[in-house]
Amino acid sequence: MMNSLGRRGMEEKYFPHDLIIIQILPRLPVKSLLRFKCVHKSYLYGFGYDQFRDDYLVVSVSNDMTINYGVNSQLEVFSLQDNTWREIEGNFPYFSNTWTDDSPRVGLLFGGDIHWLVAKMAPGEDSSDDVILTFDLMERKLLEMPYPDDFDFVLYDNCALWVFGEFFSLWVSDHVNCSVEIWVMKEYKVHSSWTKTLDFSIEGLSTWYFYPICSTKTGDIVGTDGENVLQKYNGQGQLIEHESYSEDPLDFLVTLYTESLLLLPVDNMQV
Amino acid sequence: MASSSSNLISLKTSDGTVFKVERALAKTMKTVQAIIEEADANIYMIPIHNVFSHHMDMIIDYYKLSVAGKSKEFSVEKLDNDELKDFLLAVHYLNMEDLFEVLTQAVADRLEKKSVGYVRKYFGIENDFTPEEYAAIRKKNDWAFKGDDIEPEEDEEKQEE
Repeated sequence: MMNSLGRRGMEEKYFPHDLIIIQILPRLPVKSLLRFKCVHKSYLYGFGYDQFRDDYLVVSVSNDMTINYGVNSQLEVFSLQDNTWREIEGNFPYFSNTWTDDSPRVGLLFGGDIHWLVAKMAPGEDSSDDVILTFDLMERKLLEMPYPDDFDFVLYDNCALWVFGEFFSLWVSDHVNCSVEIWVMKEYKVHSSWTKTLDFSIEGLSTWYFYPICSTKTGDIVGTDGENVLQKYNGQGQLIEHESYSEDPLDFLVTLYTESLLLLPVDNMQV
Repeated sequence: MASSSSNLISLKTSDGTVFKVERALAKTMKTVQAIIEEADANIYMIPIHNVFSHHMDMIIDYYKLSVAGKSKEFSVEKLDNDELKDFLLAVHYLNMEDLFEVLTQAVADRLEKKSVGYVRKYFGIENDFTPEEYAAIRKKNDWAFKGDDIEPEEDEEKQEE
């Protein structure tokens, strides 16, 4: 009956999409279902670089939530070189089943692939499993990666992909126990290399949540409480800094800005 | 008929009410079962998040009817659409298979004739379609939007004025 993600403790009254897609919509007659195709376009997207062809790509995985002989999402790729969208045919029984209503739709770029956390329709079609969906930018193919083996879905209320140091990583938060765990893939694409490297309490401050955003060169974790406080935890999970960045909670979205220097071409060099 | 205290489980709802329920009823709640099984010693009180006392009242009603073989008599007619949705989320949280089936069907029945706009609002879903995409899907399945018993879309109502 249930998919593996508990998503319990939802004070925000977010209505899980897998509940809608798997449990409610299939009980409707065809006429209602066809109408409800217009309800929501569930989509995921990502941006990346194909170094083999020296091409920049935008990838989109989308569906309209209704089940017609199984959920099949559309995979479309926009190539900067071709300057056009192309649909890639295939069976993609995936849909975006977000952990919270503001989970990111944009995929994480790592290791030449784009990654999203999605739900996959199980063959019997009355349940779904959670997987990490991967788009290989060179092969232009969708692949799956399972979550770590000891992942206790029931405990967690939020989860996201990110890069911790140089590792492909997942952070999860356990709202009931007020803790955050960091899992890393020590060897990218080697499933057995998933390791829980950090498990720390966020009970110190009065904030209920902590969302990691980035890590520093020294292994500290910088994140936000989801409202208006930036926090920094060190590699041992101790809070070392916090700073309020706004009077008004919920007013800001925090993102990472990376500076880079770009060498501009010049026709001739003047002495 | 006296029941020993070990046959009763205490559940504390979000609004602070404590319900002492039979072990058999607690067994129908997979979430509660998992908590009981994981506890080392006897657990005295289990807090159930997102479940309110009015939900527990209905859960107990359903349980009593099921035990008497009358589960088909259970009705959620008196609940409005939002109350039904909240109840479904509570039962989903508790992971109660039979009652969950009943409620998901009840929600589906309530939504069957509703407009697309209503369904979006009901589930708190944003409309991600561009007007062109929406028009294309609409055109392809136009017959599905017609019928006296179907709630008209908001944009149509405005046009008719």
